Amino acid sequence: MTRPAKETPSTDIQVAICGSAGEGTIAAGDILRSALAEAGYRIISFDTYPPEIRGFGKCIARLRVTTEQAYSLKQQSDVLIALNDEHAIPHIGEVRDFGAVIYDGHSIAKLPEGGHVSGHLRAGQLPYPVSLRELCEKATGGNRSRNIVALGFLAGVYQLPKDAFLRIITKKFGKKPGVAEQNQAAFETGYTVGEAAFRLDDVVFGAPKRDAATRDVVMINGNAATVRGAVDAGIDCFFGYPITPATSIMERLASEMPKHGKRLLQTEDEISAIAATIGAGYTGARAATATSGPGLSLMQEMLGLGVIAEVPSVVFVSQRGGPSTGMPTKTEQSDLSAAVHGGHGDAQKIVIAPTNVEGCYRCGGKAFEMAEAYQTPVVVLLDLYLSNRYETVQFGARPPFEANCSKPRAKAAPGEPYRRFALTEDFVSPRALPGEPGAMHTITGLEHNELGRPNDQGDMHERMSKKRHEKLKAALKHPDFTHCKRFGDEGRIKVGMLAWGSTFGECLEAMFKARAEGIPCAAMKVVMLSPFPVEPVSAFMDDCDVVLVPEVNYEGQFARLIQGELGRPVVSLARVPGVPLPVDEILETIRRLAASGPRDAARLVRAA
Amino acid sequence: MAEAHQQIYLEDKLKEVRESGRLEYRSKALPTWCPGCGYFAMAGGVPAALNSLGIAPQDTVVVSGIGCSSRFPFFVNTYGFHTLHGRVLPVATGIKVANDALTVIAVGGDGDGFAIGGGHVPHAARRNIDITYLLFDNGIYGLTKGQTSPTSAIGFRTPTSPYTNPDQPLNPLLMVLAYGATWVGQAFAGHPQQLEELIRQAIAHRGFSYLHILSPCVTFDKTDKTYDRLEQRVRSLPANHDPQDFAAAMRQAMDVETPPMGLLYVNERPTLADALDGIVVKAGGAEKRARKVAKAA
Amino acid sequence: MAAVGKHHVIIGGGISGSQAADTLRTLDPDSRITLITLSRLPVYNRYDLPQVFRGRQDWRDFLVQPPEYYRRSRISLRRATRVANVDATRRIITLAHNEELRYDTLLVASGGRGYLPEELAEFLPLLDSFTSFEDAVTVRRRLPEGGHVIMIGGDMIGLDLARTMVETGHRVTLVAGPQTFWPHRLEAGERKQFLAVLAKMGMQVVESEAHGNIETIEPGAKGMPARRIVFGDNTDLRADSIMAFCGLVPSVEFMLGSGVDIERGLLVSRSLRTTNEAIYAAGDVCQIWDQDEKRYRFYYGWKNVRAMGELAARNIVGGDEPWSSNQDESLRVQENGSLYSPFWEYA
Repeated sequence: MTRPAKETPSTDIQVAICGSAGEGTIAAGDILRSALAEAGYRIISFDTYPPEIRGFGKCIARLRVTTEQAYSLKQQSDVLIALNDEHAIPHIGEVRDFGAVIYDGHSIAKLPEGGHVSGHLRAGQLPYPVSLRELCEKATGGNRSRNIVALGFLAGVYQLPKDAFLRIITKKFGKKPGVAEQNQAAFETGYTVGEAAFRLDDVVFGAPKRDAATRDVVMINGNAATVRGAVDAGIDCFFGYPITPATSIMERLASEMPKHGKRLLQTEDEISAIAATIGAGYTGARAATATSGPGLSLMQEMLGLGVIAEVPSVVFVSQRGGPSTGMPTKTEQSDLSAAVHGGHGDAQKIVIAPTNVEGCYRCGGKAFEMAEAYQTPVVVLLDLYLSNRYETVQFGARPPFEANCSKPRAKAAPGEPYRRFALTEDFVSPRALPGEPGAMHTITGLEHNELGRPNDQGDMHERMSKKRHEKLKAALKHPDFTHCKRFGDEGRIKVGMLAWGSTFGECLEAMFKARAEGIPCAAMKVVMLSPFPVEPVSAFMDDCDVVLVPEVNYEGQFARLIQGELGRPVVSLARVPGVPLPVDEILETIRRLAASGPRDAARLVRAA
Repeated sequence: MAEAHQQIYLEDKLKEVRESGRLEYRSKALPTWCPGCGYFAMAGGVPAALNSLGIAPQDTVVVSGIGCSSRFPFFVNTYGFHTLHGRVLPVATGIKVANDALTVIAVGGDGDGFAIGGGHVPHAARRNIDITYLLFDNGIYGLTKGQTSPTSAIGFRTPTSPYTNPDQPLNPLLMVLAYGATWVGQAFAGHPQQLEELIRQAIAHRGFSYLHILSPCVTFDKTDKTYDRLEQRVRSLPANHDPQDFAAAMRQAMDVETPPMGLLYVNERPTLADALDGIVVKAGGAEKRARKVAKAA
Repeated sequence: MAAVGKHHVIIGGGISGSQAADTLRTLDPDSRITLITLSRLPVYNRYDLPQVFRGRQDWRDFLVQPPEYYRRSRISLRRATRVANVDATRRIITLAHNEELRYDTLLVASGGRGYLPEELAEFLPLLDSFTSFEDAVTVRRRLPEGGHVIMIGGDMIGLDLARTMVETGHRVTLVAGPQTFWPHRLEAGERKQFLAVLAKMGMQVVESEAHGNIETIEPGAKGMPARRIVFGDNTDLRADSIMAFCGLVPSVEFMLGSGVDIERGLLVSRSLRTTNEAIYAAGDVCQIWDQDEKRYRFYYGWKNVRAMGELAARNIVGGDEPWSSNQDESLRVQENGSLYSPFWEYA
């Protein structure tokens, strides 16, 4: 029997809740993470809805509760709450040995052999049968709050701060008369039973840390943080068309923007969403749309118009499994090529990708600054994992975004036509907005001269193409923005990782583990993907014996991007499991690369 | 098609324009349309209408898609956005939603509006966004040299339907009426004075106004929608036509053999801006909205 | 797992059941084996539980087999699971949580639970139990250092605990009664002698009958130890915990509808088969036909129940060996003056 090493007093516990939406699985997860965040723990949480189960409504809420900053979910959960036998049984395996499985100890329906959770526990996992239904009926007269009884039980067993739960329950259900009370009663009942239960697992919640870093933290997911960033940056208009997993961006903005006097319109498709966004951007408004891969494909032609007509716009793209309709409820990072290289013609735009929820906030706001400053579309690449994952984030008192990044505009000389596309030193032209007298001009998707008039002369196309590409270089030095950042060992290292988007969290976790094993290791996150930060990435690669590029797509799109930009070899770990890359898989690759050295690296990873 | 004929335009039209008092709406760029093109009527009609309504050029945005008619923004001295094929309405929507103070005129042809862009018309109409849509219907793709369009007649022969067009043409008027447009009119490029008056009314209308303009393509259609043939077929609306009578408007719109000219239908209902403002009020953001609008003004 | 072979179900996760599972796995490699236990833990050695007083408080230290054993041995271990009914005609077991299991052969090794004399039944909530790991740790945690325990009865399981508690610095008062030294069958006069040995070992021994038997048990007053026991002669004792160890009653309720013959335990032949050909029994739950005594009798003790589990398994897969016990059952005094029972010998 292997026994886990004695845990440090710091808390690092992952709880999974599995059931159907109708059973309040996600609601329970939401209350749990909110309560624990309020109690002062740090949280990373991600709800999934695996489609491989027939019917719909099955979901799993997972949350990792820590005292120190964590960067990804763990592969194994410490505690599983099963609200539904059928849904939970396939997930019992993810609970580690000496972890706990909490389930309803009685089924109303007659079950065939193997139909009950209790029959599927490994001998090392600890069963906690609870009469969820019975307790719920006693406490509330109904069985709708079974999820809350289970939460109460969990809180009781592990002595979690009860007040935080009761406050969150009140907040969540307070609007419906009687419902808050009913759920409080359910929670109290579960708590009492849990408190009395004999704890056999070795899951220990240490006290939460109360310090400056945990004060005023907000529990928020990637999409909500993106929205907060957009709102803090003063978004004026939003146009969108629902698509998983980006929809909640629009939903939240639909409720938030009008409070700030701003406008949101649900358009008839993604083409009109980006068209209207660009229309609004043309008037000087900070405008955005949000979509996923299929929508990005539809928007490509219009993004090209944004590039050539030099109109600011922001597109939030939350990636999912592709191509085509693909896997709408699974995470993937396979739209990088489409974002960076998509569309016809030489249509470089700015592409940024946050690596965590706080990054979603920053990118969500900074995107508007960049769009405005460089007069171009900005694509913010999120993915399902990042969009839906919750983290505890501390926001500053003042939004870190500039309200106006427009280049000061020069007036047209009287009688002279306005030179909207004037060639300047930094290649950014002054931009007059509709409504301004004496600066009337027309912009177009045709190649044009400095006045904006159609012109397809070769030298003009050369000049204007250069202008449109050169002006973006300034974005590589955009103020108060982390374009890329190195973590881990300084100096010479055996294995360096380059990663982007949500996968960077898993890379960090793997890197810390590798360093603990004595492998000199570092990881660099690359937030700015287009234009590409060649210099710092190149400097990082100089330090590495081998560069590993883990990402969740099949083609190794980021690896190819790096190789294309730098012409240097990297080792690609590109997989499409539909879920975040397992930390252990990254770690195992690091180990093998560290052991084999650079020469064998490519062969090794191919063999894997 | 275009460059070779610029000189003719200069000779025939520039003088007239200079004397009209609408020069400030005119761009220094010169139209690239073929001589005799029905679109010259628009080039004259829009500035005249804006002038008579007292709308300043800088407060006007002319938006277009792709097509011969969509070149129009280059030929007026207002703000202009020459966008993508079929996307004039969503871009115009974005502009208007972002800035109510602008007068937004969308311009396009039958292919732009009812083929590639056909999906956007119902939504602009049902939302009653306060823009004017001038649809120049010549039943042909002129810019790409004469292919079949969604309003081409059955039996019409073009390079893409060398054995003649087998498809039933659309009836855009019936469609936009059904979609909920609140101002629907029809004009003929051969009657520029009526066209100008209808453009004026369409711009003045608060809500989505749709003006269908029969406009011959003199270069690629020598047989069907020619000036002569259209001149013989078009008629005025009956004197007793009530433009508030939806059913009557539908009946008139159904007549494609002798198309009726004039205002078929008008109706007042809340615009998209009214709806969006209502949402802001419900959300408690009215004060912030008022501050923002005041600041912009 | 594909059900290629028979499905052997064992009810009871004690020494007997787990030994049977292990033997079945060896003798019938293709079979499916399900081991059902009320316990939330994998099979552990209950005889070891007094060791909680010697600092062993991690359940992992009590396990008969490590957790990975069950996967390796393809034994489906159903923990925290109660059997509600056995339908011997359809060979279907209904579990209390409403799941049905079909079996080909069934071994009942559900053991027994502590017997409590009827006159003490009403005081049950005030008595501490010591039958599971959880009970043992709870008692250990509840007892203050050097705390005082009253043990009613004092069967050999209890006395094993009592001597451990004495040796670890606790005060133990034995309220002796008819079940003291159970299951040893003592000759007349031996009882007094052995009680004296217990006293010498450090226990305070009180003969219940001599004080008019137990009248009442009540919670201690505020500021006093947690429990108070009052005898018929109005004398009383105060202690931090009261436990009763009065022998075992077989756990057979779930078998009442099965149709097999039951006296106190399940009646089995010498080959440990019940009156149903597919159902066997082993351990503290069964009464085995004794040819010499011409009656069904129980066999207790770790060695016996383990041997019974093994024998039952052999007979389940086709054997027909008779039961014979070589368990020494004599209570005696060791040279150092302390009591010795062969029942205290466990691996």
